[in-house]
Amino acid sequence: MGLRKVLVANRGEIAVRVIRTCRELGIATVAVYSEADEGAPHVRLADEAYPIGPAAPAESYLRSDRLIAVAERTACDSVHPGYGFLSENADFAEAVAAAGLTFVGPPASVQRALGEKTSARRLAKAAGVPIAEGTLEPVSDEAAGREIARRIGFPLLLKPAGGGGGKGMRIVRSADELASAWRGATGEATTAFGAPALLIERYLAGARHVEMQLIADEHGSVVWLGERDCSIQRRHQKLVEETPGPSVDDALRSRLGDAAVKLARAAGYVNAGTCEFLVAPDGGFVFLEVNTRLQVEHPVTELVTGLDLVALQFRVAAGESLPFTQESVRRNGAAIECRITAEDAFAGFVPAGGRLGLVRLPAGAGIRVDGGIESGMTVPTEYDPLLAKVVAWGPTRAEALGRMRRALRETVIAGVMTTLPFHQHVLSDPEFVAGRYDTSYVDARWAARRADLDGTALTAAAMAAVVASRTRPPRSAAPDGRAWVRIAREEALR
Amino acid sequence: MRYEVQVGERTVQLEVAPDGSTLVDDRVTALSVRALGPDAWLVAMGGVSHEVHLLARDPLRLWVDGTEVLATVTDERALAARSAGGSARSGRHELHAPMPGLLKAVHVREGDEVERGAPLVTLEAMKMENELRSPVAGRVTRVAAAAGTKVDGGALLIVLAQG
Repeated sequence: MGLRKVLVANRGEIAVRVIRTCRELGIATVAVYSEADEGAPHVRLADEAYPIGPAAPAESYLRSDRLIAVAERTACDSVHPGYGFLSENADFAEAVAAAGLTFVGPPASVQRALGEKTSARRLAKAAGVPIAEGTLEPVSDEAAGREIARRIGFPLLLKPAGGGGGKGMRIVRSADELASAWRGATGEATTAFGAPALLIERYLAGARHVEMQLIADEHGSVVWLGERDCSIQRRHQKLVEETPGPSVDDALRSRLGDAAVKLARAAGYVNAGTCEFLVAPDGGFVFLEVNTRLQVEHPVTELVTGLDLVALQFRVAAGESLPFTQESVRRNGAAIECRITAEDAFAGFVPAGGRLGLVRLPAGAGIRVDGGIESGMTVPTEYDPLLAKVVAWGPTRAEALGRMRRALRETVIAGVMTTLPFHQHVLSDPEFVAGRYDTSYVDARWAARRADLDGTALTAAAMAAVVASRTRPPRSAAPDGRAWVRIAREEALR
Repeated sequence: MRYEVQVGERTVQLEVAPDGSTLVDDRVTALSVRALGPDAWLVAMGGVSHEVHLLARDPLRLWVDGTEVLATVTDERALAARSAGGSARSGRHELHAPMPGLLKAVHVREGDEVERGAPLVTLEAMKMENELRSPVAGRVTRVAAAAGTKVDGGALLIVLAQG
């Protein structure tokens, strides 16, 4: 009674990722695409593909009605939401189920209980999972918020109660900053999640972001698969993730795993999910939130466990039991992921769309690339700027880092600014290599300057002159028909 | 064509000669270029091959052997325009040793008229003989080091008057 045909309600690398596993499992795939994604890799990879509207997400990938209509018209038996878009929208999960389709993810009841942050905090507290000091009910009134802030003390965090992903989050360091932070956070919360309600909690400085991967079946089995340290972030959004966490020993890992499982059981969790924690330098931790979906960074867990999380999602969604127990899960070696996004790392990580020139992605031993890009395609500005995820595995952390450094050097993405220079900086930073970093890393260690080119400035300059002598300004570009003359001359010079 | 290239804190003078040889900070470097694609080249310089991709034109962003490089390139015409707008050229050019080494030969004497690109001295460094050529056409006004002597990196070797 396995699933046979799925609508992949997403785009980009995660749609490609899901389609790949489906093909391996023999599940037929239906892709959807907006006007901005015609001819995109996920569209060509799927067995069938249908347009669902204009580029704006609200008119395409967020149109629950259109997605379900396509699934019904193409006789799908299931819907995979990927991450982002409607993946954590309980109403969507409910609508999918109401249409007689299987939602490949946690059911609506779980999404409701854990999606609203104060509700998740209440659940965690009741389950005996430590939470940061703060509110257990959403707060919409600024005066009430001011009073709560005074009680908790500064620094503190304002977060939209309605959702995660770092959107709308504000660190408030003093009472003076509260008013403007409140305006900003409520504004973004309203835009992103449809409600201005906020959660106020104590901010832990010097903490690491460590999360625990979970998978649960309908038959009462809940298993944790290991942690990921995701402390390297900008705008509270992750850039680098690795497992094992450099600061996590076996004892802490078990404590985090047990806490995550307790919370998942309390919520009646089914399918894949991630329980996020902040871990203080002394090893104490507090619950942050649960992501009721597949995470962007799930491949690092796949590489050390040898499991295919998407395949497990489909099996669990079809009602099967997990094919392993907590005791039989093995974790082998270390893995790290770098998110290559279309952003200018030298200008505050501002997203940079554009047309991609040459794209050359790395390969070789221990390297996995999950991507949804290719040479010549235009990176739409309407969506998440993630271009590709480069993931490296090694028997030890040092070997995994060595492979990642090598892979980053092989990577060429022309045409748009990318986070590649940032990742090269991180992977060669002695502090990172030593495993000493926390969520303040980007502010503290990324000085927003070009790599130190002392040793290679001359070579780089010579190459720049060569390029300048071989390229004409766009306005005086010669017709392509003359290119052979130039190439012939260059050949003759060898 | 002459270029002034700025990479990071460094400014480097380069001249790409029609025969493919390149003067890098007045030092001649054998250089060959093979086009790999519309915006990619394999450049052999001093026995080492460098893969170069043009990532973006404005500002100029290059991928050089796995590292992203931001460079500002000013060409001959722009340099001329800049100097015309500024103070007049001095006409004096100094040739310095680009690295420490043994001055194997001095090919010119004071008072010699030389063409641009003419060999001035041969410097042996890192087990290679490097011919240092004249960056300009002009007259040799001073020979500051003798053949057979060791010179430090940056040592003054030849002074020329552009003519």
